[in-house]
Amino acid sequence: MNIDLPFIWESLVELLTAIPTTLAITAVSMLCGLAIGTVVALIRMYKVPVLHSVAASYVTFIRGTPMLTHLLLIYFGLPLIVDALSAQFGWPFRSVNIPMITFAYISFSITAGAYLSEVVRSGLQAVDKGQIEAAYSIGMTTRQAISRIVFPQAFAILLPSLSNSTISMLHGSTLVFTVSVVDINAKSQIIASSNWKFFEAYIAAAAIYWGLTILIERLTAIVEKRINIYNRGGVT
Amino acid sequence: MIKLTQIKKSYGRHQVLKGIDLTVEKGEVVAILGPSGSGKTTLLRCMNYLERPSEGEITIDGFTVNCKRPSKSDIHSLRKQSAMVFQQYNLFRHKTALENVMEGLVVVQKVPKEQARKRSIELLEKVGLGSKLDAYPSQLSGGQQQRVGIARALALNPKVILFDEPTSSLDPELVGEVLSVIRKIAREGITMIIVTHEMSFAQEVAGHVIFIDDGMIVERGTPNELFNSPKEERTKQFLKRYTPDGVYSI
Repeated sequence: MNIDLPFIWESLVELLTAIPTTLAITAVSMLCGLAIGTVVALIRMYKVPVLHSVAASYVTFIRGTPMLTHLLLIYFGLPLIVDALSAQFGWPFRSVNIPMITFAYISFSITAGAYLSEVVRSGLQAVDKGQIEAAYSIGMTTRQAISRIVFPQAFAILLPSLSNSTISMLHGSTLVFTVSVVDINAKSQIIASSNWKFFEAYIAAAAIYWGLTILIERLTAIVEKRINIYNRGGVT
Repeated sequence: MIKLTQIKKSYGRHQVLKGIDLTVEKGEVVAILGPSGSGKTTLLRCMNYLERPSEGEITIDGFTVNCKRPSKSDIHSLRKQSAMVFQQYNLFRHKTALENVMEGLVVVQKVPKEQARKRSIELLEKVGLGSKLDAYPSQLSGGQQQRVGIARALALNPKVILFDEPTSSLDPELVGEVLSVIRKIAREGITMIIVTHEMSFAQEVAGHVIFIDDGMIVERGTPNELFNSPKEERTKQFLKRYTPDGVYSI
């Protein structure tokens, strides 16, 4: 076996420059996904007319198709729509001006939104019904009750799932190489093929992904500890 | 003060409340008794719309809601008239005792924080929890939690406080501390409606007692009338199980 150990280190250093891209894709998708997921979960829980069935179809379609397919659909579909609209309204904007990474942001946010809507829903439903009743009984509106009483508790409940989803998204973001965005994975491919040292480059990529994952786990643990003070009990 | 007219409530085909009429005067303490499943808790929960009555009219302090077609703002305004103490306490789990009491003042009544804080501390001291201000509900005993619940209700200065079996999920040892707090505020002339199984407590603290069975008011009267000389057969039957201490029928 012939492994070029120093090259692993070299690749690792070079891959560091791609970390911001990967993190940006993960963070943007998760944040937008969480926003979409929350709205969808509320629509479904409160059975908002019309929107309710739209939301349900969105969730089943997205969860029923691969993330890569979403990316390709957005990558090839969105420019058609943008250009058609531009032509229609005479905007100077053309789809070629859209940065590639935007396709990743949009498509992964849509993907994450569907999965996270289920995560959020389970969190909201796990909050004891008595909590919202108590909020109503002191005169809160539904909006106040949800944002001040239900959400904070739901968030504590869904934090572990959220951390899981973030890790999935971190790993799933590797798909962006298909739309020529250079993230950690794409960069490692470039390093690998230009030096003919595939194994070494991919080991370096794996190490970085692992490191980032551990970071997410640690962060979750810290947040979880802070947020769960009220569940500790027995210490007065 | 409070007037309920022909309150009816059905779950599907099952009619839980079959037309309840009830008037409660200002400052009055009314106890609602009845067997499990009689509809007494449902009736109480209808008064602040945690249950939606199917029919009827609810008036609290001049504000009337027609239950046929209430608007969201009607329900919201009705709820602001009352406060509730729950069987399961239902304290906000992620907030401390003090924050629980302050929440309604700050968020609903828009009282400035400092003022709300001061009033909340006073109330918690009144229910004997001045030393537990920063404790989370999970760090409190059931009796302490329920006392926070009472302070939270009192904070809002409501027209009426609704008690839904406030001692039913407490250890027998802890019932006393909660009842003594309720007794204390009853003496202050706050209008209260109490659903309870504590017969002797009802007898002692209530000005009026109502006996409900099968979704209807069977009998009403002063505690003396109802406990010592009930007229209806069903009431007698029900009260038989609660013969006062020291009286044994062999």
